[in-house]
Amino acid sequence: MSGTADGTRALELLRLVRRFGEVVALDEVSFSVEAGQMVGFVGPNGAGKTTAMRIALGVLRPDAGEVRWLGRPVDAQTRRRFGYMPEERGLYPKMRVLDQLVYLARLHGLEPEDARARAAAMVDALGVAERGRDRADSLSLGNQQRVQLAAALVHRPEVLVLDEPFSGLDPVGVDVLSEMLRGQADAGVPVVFSSHQLDLVERLCESVVMIDRGRVVASGRIDDLRAADPRRLVRVEVSGGGDEWIERVSGVRVIEPLPDGGIVELADGIPQSDVLDAARSVGSVRHFSIVQPSLSEIFRRQVMR
Amino acid sequence: MTCERSLWPIVARREFVERVRDRGFQVSTSITLVLLTGIIVISALFNRPTTFDLGVVGEGSGQIAGDVVAAAKALGIGVDVHQLSDAARARRAVDAGDADAAIVDAQRIVVRASPPAQLVGLIQAASLRERSKQALVSSGLSEQQVDQALLQAPLPVEALQPVNAQRKEAASVAFVGVLVLYGQLFAYGYWVASGVVEEKSSRVVEVLLATVRPSHLLRGKIFGIGLLGLAQLLLIGVVGFATAQAVGTLDFPSEAIATLGLVVIWFVLGFFFYASLFAVAGSIVTRQEDLQTTMTPLTILIVASFFIGISATSSPDSTLAVVASLLPFSSPLVMPTRIALGDAAWWEIVASVVVSVSATAALIPIATKIYSRALLRSGRVRIRQLLRSREA
Repeated sequence: MSGTADGTRALELLRLVRRFGEVVALDEVSFSVEAGQMVGFVGPNGAGKTTAMRIALGVLRPDAGEVRWLGRPVDAQTRRRFGYMPEERGLYPKMRVLDQLVYLARLHGLEPEDARARAAAMVDALGVAERGRDRADSLSLGNQQRVQLAAALVHRPEVLVLDEPFSGLDPVGVDVLSEMLRGQADAGVPVVFSSHQLDLVERLCESVVMIDRGRVVASGRIDDLRAADPRRLVRVEVSGGGDEWIERVSGVRVIEPLPDGGIVELADGIPQSDVLDAARSVGSVRHFSIVQPSLSEIFRRQVMR
Repeated sequence: MTCERSLWPIVARREFVERVRDRGFQVSTSITLVLLTGIIVISALFNRPTTFDLGVVGEGSGQIAGDVVAAAKALGIGVDVHQLSDAARARRAVDAGDADAAIVDAQRIVVRASPPAQLVGLIQAASLRERSKQALVSSGLSEQQVDQALLQAPLPVEALQPVNAQRKEAASVAFVGVLVLYGQLFAYGYWVASGVVEEKSSRVVEVLLATVRPSHLLRGKIFGIGLLGLAQLLLIGVVGFATAQAVGTLDFPSEAIATLGLVVIWFVLGFFFYASLFAVAGSIVTRQEDLQTTMTPLTILIVASFFIGISATSSPDSTLAVVASLLPFSSPLVMPTRIALGDAAWWEIVASVVVSVSATAALIPIATKIYSRALLRSGRVRIRQLLRSREA
């Protein structure tokens, strides 16, 4: 094996293939997450996100392809230094929160004393310190979610893989989690998480991987994906104009209707002034701007085609 | 791979510690110990050697009572004689239950309701001898001649099926052993199954599988729970033995200890076998409610073995007991009894252990395979389907 010869501090998924019976869940999926990078992993339901993450964590085995960390194929021992938060949250319902974290830390290779210290530090950092001696099933769902995150972080993971970590969180919880993940990435940990909340991904991540029906359809920096999007988009709103008029402008396709207008895509050769002229003829123009496609728009274009 | 070895003991430790801390476990252990000591103490009270209280009033009664005591002693019966001042007092003593019977003026036997047959028989025999003696003496024979004629040794008794006290006690100890073994195997097997379901239904298993291999998870679970079962079994054994010694139930204590040892050995043999099966029963369902269904075949197997085990305490050499003591699922509940009662040939013991160990050794890889493949599947999974599919 090449060892760390190429010097990459990255988690790499290389040409992963996985079938479940007749269904091809992953069809040569490849992407990498650099150290210190936070990558959003997006795709419609059933696209293969969970399968890819489970394979990265060794919970599932791939039919072909491999997962590498620091340039080397990962084995069971390397994976013990990964942090994982599965989509289906899981804690022992009757076990005390602190004991639970100590146990998981021990399973990830920490010595007993270190495990206890880390568990205490984690519940402290996540604001559930006073619940440490309580059984997990006596905690509110929000607090259980925090403990789940603590479970993923308790052993100072070198790599973080989180499956839908934001689902079910209230806005405050989202902020706390975002901050924790940012902190991990800043400390040099590659962080990859899947999410359906594309606005959140757009806000938190520089890079994304888009997957659809088991194939990566786009990946890279969000800015680059935007720049590579050939569409010219215009956002236009006319005070009291309604949303009917915009449909009548020729050479224009509505991407996202708004109450008094919408975001439209211009066909080749149609100047922006056509839209502005049409808007003026309806009433007083309140907003007119050239916009960059949002992550959701890029996603829709990649997935719907 | 160097770090792999250290994971399953961590799993085993959790299984042990969490369950010891469980309030339900503490309560059920206490109840078991209280019941056990209670049963031993009560049975000791009922089996205490019989002692009668005999009231004596008036002339000649003392003589008869002396004969009764001597004759009773030969039969292993104790008789305490109470000298009373008059007949009325004797009647009151009998009526109040202070005396089982009273001899009044060597003329009459007073009892309360139903006469205690043994005691009355002894009194009748003594009084008959006394009156015969007086009749013979008054008809001119010398006292010496009369004694010679009347004081004959009792007839020897030949028992066609003599009671072997040691064997009888061994059977009782074995009976308790079978009862406890059945309870331990069932309870701890069930714990393995429900522990597997708990990890599946709470989804914690996916977090665990990211760092522990399924085979190590299973091994840790079985060892942790098994160790707890063994510890509880030893506790029950030691407390039971100590209680029985304290109340003097055991005439053959070293044999009882040997039987306890057999029970411990066959618990270990039986537990690994049953625990593997219970783990499979747990792994193929996701909800505790469904566990009863998949455990049913195991329940039938273990209950049937239990009844064979109970019958073996009275007839250890029946064909059923002999065959059952060799089969891996029933031998833990039958073989200890047959050994304790001295009815198992050495080759049968060896065969039983060999069969049990090799059946378990063959079972564990299959059980591990099914368990590993079923862990991430939800709903009711079919075993045949799992064996055909690939790993995870």
